Amino acid sequence: MSDKIFDVDHVTLRFGGVVSLNDVTLHQERGEILAVIGPNGAGKTSLFNSLTGVYQPQEGTITFQGSDAKAMSVIGKKPHRVSSAGVARTFQASRMFSALTAFENIKIGAESHRGIGVLGAMLRGPKTRRDERTSDERTVELLDFVGLRAKANVISSSLSYGDRRRLEIARGLATGPQVLLLDEPAAGTNPSEKLELTTLIRKVRDQMGVSILLIEHDMKLVMSLAERLYVLNFGSVIAQGTPEEIRANDKVIEAYLGSTATETGDRS
Amino acid sequence: MKRVFASAHVKRLFSALAALAILELMTGPPGSALAPTAGFTGSFGEPASFLGLFRTQRWVLFLFLALVMYGLWSAWLVWGQQVRTATAKAVSAPRAATRTRPVRWGMAVVVLAVALLLPHLITDPFWQAAMVEQIAVYVLLALGLNVVVGFAGLLDLGFVAFYAIGAYTTAWVTGALPTAAPFGIHFNNFYAIPIAIALAMGSGIILGAPTLRLRGDYLAIVTLGFGEIITIFANNLYGITGGSQGTNTIPHFSLHVGPIKYLWGLTPVPYYYLTIVFVILFIAGFKLLEHSRVGRAWTAIREDEVAAESVGINPLKYKVMAFAIGASTAGFAGVVTASQSNTIFPSSFTLQFSINILVLVIFGGMGSITGVVLGAIVIQTGSMYLLHTPPAGYQPQDLYIYLGALLVVMMIFRPAGLVPSRRRHREIGLAEKGEGHMNEVLTGDTP
Repeated sequence: MSDKIFDVDHVTLRFGGVVSLNDVTLHQERGEILAVIGPNGAGKTSLFNSLTGVYQPQEGTITFQGSDAKAMSVIGKKPHRVSSAGVARTFQASRMFSALTAFENIKIGAESHRGIGVLGAMLRGPKTRRDERTSDERTVELLDFVGLRAKANVISSSLSYGDRRRLEIARGLATGPQVLLLDEPAAGTNPSEKLELTTLIRKVRDQMGVSILLIEHDMKLVMSLAERLYVLNFGSVIAQGTPEEIRANDKVIEAYLGSTATETGDRS
Repeated sequence: MKRVFASAHVKRLFSALAALAILELMTGPPGSALAPTAGFTGSFGEPASFLGLFRTQRWVLFLFLALVMYGLWSAWLVWGQQVRTATAKAVSAPRAATRTRPVRWGMAVVVLAVALLLPHLITDPFWQAAMVEQIAVYVLLALGLNVVVGFAGLLDLGFVAFYAIGAYTTAWVTGALPTAAPFGIHFNNFYAIPIAIALAMGSGIILGAPTLRLRGDYLAIVTLGFGEIITIFANNLYGITGGSQGTNTIPHFSLHVGPIKYLWGLTPVPYYYLTIVFVILFIAGFKLLEHSRVGRAWTAIREDEVAAESVGINPLKYKVMAFAIGASTAGFAGVVTASQSNTIFPSSFTLQFSINILVLVIFGGMGSITGVVLGAIVIQTGSMYLLHTPPAGYQPQDLYIYLGALLVVMMIFRPAGLVPSRRRHREIGLAEKGEGHMNEVLTGDTP
């Protein structure tokens, strides 16, 4: 029995007449670094939004299996429910709470958002104070983990792109996820930042045991990081396999370079 | 010599003249078919006094003021930069000092002492009454609306509804309405407080749960409608609310615990102290709330709802919470007003009232507790001053002209309010630079 953390079965997502995802079937093993690649408009971000409850696909099923062996159907759930079940994500254009500091950004992720908490906050009882301390400690841990300790009190909008990406990863990790979805984490970063990011993503999987699902255009980063890949084109899965297999796949080359191109090569 | 007549100078001069001409029209007597220029020239029956020196026509005064304004403007362009750096330097030291805890506590103690001594310093009965009815109660209302508008970023134009619910609940519980009091017992006003808070909170939740899914403008329209509905109910349900006559038999607060007996009466000072106690409680509670996980969740939703959802925050829940807290504060203010004045009637719960409170919050600084308290005090004191000692030619309905002009000027020069909250200030700054995600209240919909 394989241990699938995400099982996407025959999912179709339409916006009016536009088919964004067409009969997509894919899965992710627990602890795997999985990448989804494809040309622009292939439906990668739509897939992410379907996996996190932002979009509601019309057909198919998406099953998320947390560590507590309780399977959950993602379709029909609100994003915050999916998040509390253990799915964290980052966004294509990084979406920080820009007016808050790095510390506050992560702390918001680290806090429990269950219950009401108004009376607790107004009276500041022992439980509130204990919770506050726990989330503070967790925040500091994560700041260390992503290497932003020195920038804890910097307003997030004045961080560099690379730092923002790392902060967003830390904020996602603060929610205590089983799987982390990264939407183009390397966009807008320079080569040395890309290298650091690769190390960080691998560290997240190895040290925290969080599975990684990755969308990325940077082939060098994807090929060095991913253990398995899916290729989307026009909303359909056209290929899957290890980086080597994908590199040699004719359909993939065609999708990226057009059918008349005969030369092989990565878009790296 | 030639530079004096450069186009920039001429433009500035004409701008000053135009601005003052508008101001003159605004404040002047209404024109008529016979005297269409009355707004500028002033009627012969009411010649304005030239700074108290001699009597003259209004346009002379305004021409003079326009020239003064032009002069100040030009001077500012020349020396402004120097003045600004000097002020920034002078201000930065005390501002840094207020960040430390002992200084902040010290200031709070001083403010509290002044607030407690105030009724002994101001003995004019008009002002003593105004301090309760028009200032302390409005501070409470502004604090409540600040939770909705400032913390959660929701535009509520029907805030008066919850205030009315609080006031009518007091009348109901104390047996002042045509409808029977609960269980046939005429309760003390203090019992009205929890009941009014619960009812206002309940109606906030009932209204909020379905409508807070809406964004920006739609929410404003729904709340506006709700405010009207409550007023119309109060006006038309004769058998329950007493109709347009309302009621005037609401008793005062009274305390009767063991040997302690106290009855609040017509004199405003005891009410002032009672309200001050509650204001302090609300300020402390909301301050703690702002810096709790609830406050942070509100900030997160305000800044980026999608990102907030992705970290497990349920936006609807937190918005309904903000709405309910704001509503219960208004309900509480309703109890105080109803008990203090003994009377309520529907025509005092108008849309204008809701907007008035919103002006206090926006003027003071959305999201800043110090700001809204100060904003409420400044604006309400100002309008009370105009009511008490109106300048020549001032009519009560002119107040809104001045408030409107004040808001326009504020939005240009200090968009984050009188004492901006630090987070809000940054948000507005970021939004102006095109970064970050601007607030719904300011832009409408941000998908």
